[in-house]
Amino acid sequence: MTVSSNSMPGASEKKAPSRSSRFWAWLIFILSAAYFLVPLGATFYWSLKAEKDILGFEAYKRLFADSNFLPAFSQSVVNAAAAIFLSLLIIVPTAYWVTLRLPKLRPVVEFITLLPFVIPAVVLVFGLIRLYSRPPLLWTATYESSRVLLICVYAALSFPYMFRSVDNGLRAIDVRSLTEAAQSLGANWVTILFRVIFPNLRVALLSGALLTFAIVIGELTIALYMAQHTLGPYMADLTRSKVYEPSAMAIVSFSVTWMAMGVIQLITGGQGQATGGH
Amino acid sequence: MAYLTLSGISKQFSDSYVVKDFSLEIEKGEFVSFLGPSGCGKTTTLRMVAGFESPTTGNITLDGVDITDSPPNKRNVGMIFQSYALFPNMTVAQNVAFGLRVRRETASNIKQRVEEMISLIHLEEHAHKFPYQLSGGQQRRVSLARALAIQPHVLLLDEPLSALDAKIRVSLRSEIRAIQRKLGITAIFVTHDQEEALSISDRIVVMNAGLIEQVGTPFEVYNFPQTQFVANFVGSLNNAAAEVLDPARGLLNLDGIQLITASDIQSKKKGDKVRISVRPERFSFADVQRKDNVLDCTIENITFLGSVVRIQVKIGNTKFNMDTFNNPFLELPKIGDREQVSCSKEAVLVLDE
Repeated sequence: MTVSSNSMPGASEKKAPSRSSRFWAWLIFILSAAYFLVPLGATFYWSLKAEKDILGFEAYKRLFADSNFLPAFSQSVVNAAAAIFLSLLIIVPTAYWVTLRLPKLRPVVEFITLLPFVIPAVVLVFGLIRLYSRPPLLWTATYESSRVLLICVYAALSFPYMFRSVDNGLRAIDVRSLTEAAQSLGANWVTILFRVIFPNLRVALLSGALLTFAIVIGELTIALYMAQHTLGPYMADLTRSKVYEPSAMAIVSFSVTWMAMGVIQLITGGQGQATGGH
Repeated sequence: MAYLTLSGISKQFSDSYVVKDFSLEIEKGEFVSFLGPSGCGKTTTLRMVAGFESPTTGNITLDGVDITDSPPNKRNVGMIFQSYALFPNMTVAQNVAFGLRVRRETASNIKQRVEEMISLIHLEEHAHKFPYQLSGGQQRRVSLARALAIQPHVLLLDEPLSALDAKIRVSLRSEIRAIQRKLGITAIFVTHDQEEALSISDRIVVMNAGLIEQVGTPFEVYNFPQTQFVANFVGSLNNAAAEVLDPARGLLNLDGIQLITASDIQSKKKGDKVRISVRPERFSFADVQRKDNVLDCTIENITFLGSVVRIQVKIGNTKFNMDTFNNPFLELPKIGDREQVSCSKEAVLVLDE
């Protein structure tokens, strides 16, 4: 109860309930932090034990030395980037148009974007394989065309997150007035989207992009069934054959995601949409 | 031919008319206000001029060109929105430059014009601030500068002074008017505030339920309202029921008291019921002998309003407000006193319902 020393004399009676609620708040915070940090710490500790009797980064060295790791990793990053791009291209104009012109369609669009949550990945992937492995839509014939299909699927998987982020972002700005102001100043739709709407959605777009990135980097089921050499299948394979490297791998992929979050904080200056970050 | 012409404009949403048969001619450099209660169609009319709504019927011509169907970004019309609608991601200077950038002006032109505009609104020190760093009044001025930077044919202002505190509202109002005069730009100003409309406009269009009630100078609209609605909406007004005594001489009967009016009641018959309207400031205690109507009254209430003292008097069975200018040596009657008030026959209005 270290907090008690801060409370003012005379206010103690009033502070009493808040002190105990603060205690519970802290307890819950510590417990949930532990729930999250203990396994992470244990994983990190395990990943350092690759060499007998000493702690070191041997597992990491082996991981990066593995000729399959970097290709799988870079493939996943490229897939994620492509999926983010595709998702933005579809979701931003859709959400913008729904907000501006078709507000009655919002529930319908919201439902459609939620579909990836409703359909389990296994069902989704078998449906995809059935649909796209025969003419006229023969997309699974080569590795590269399967990869394009996979990116499209990832874009679809990101819809629930992307639509919600973008929709929140659009609600935070006065889309209609900004659009009309830009129009009356002579701007066309492309200019309005790229000069007015996109920049003001920066934070929303980044958070949507980050979530998409996190999903794609770790995705296993679909990539596995579509025989793609991405990070998910690589990690699963590693778990079966190695002892310390999977832990090192988990830490690496975690760090990448956290670094992405840090980058977002840097870009946005932690101040939300208002600053524009110039 | 007028600079901006709206002829027979109607706007229908499903089966109700928001604006009906609106015709108006505006001269170049004129400052016109659309005045009316909310939902009277004034903003919809403005938005049709801007191109954000298209009229169901009717035509709009600007400088001899029919713009009824042209999109908003091709009209060269500047608009100031009720919400500031400044681009939050751009500085003051970038906001002002936006319209010029879109028009692909040269960099030196843009720079010069932006400087000109920012000095016009006296925000030189704030040119590189973002909108969220400015006060409400400053943001209004930026949106004015942004709209004016493109040298629009017409400047449209949609309740630009709402949500500002009273002092800033008054000073910004005269600033807008001064800038409009200086640039000689044609402007349409939408407001529900009669005082604002009276003080800023060359002409006022009073609207109600989608229809034009009256078009006239502030002086005409205030002093010679043509309808009951205009008389009530613009300024404050006393209303009372009266009966026609002699249509030819303009004699009326108010609770047994005889009144004379200058309004034309020739079409009425003896015994017809009419409503009379008198502005509070048209009554006075002075000059009793020289006025057309001299009325016995009882003082009911006295309210001090600063520059004006409002006295409620009872004439017959009807209560009227009368306003008199305050001065420190004013001798006010006491509540319950019996006095005489007077008003001219022109002050007694008999208006169409």
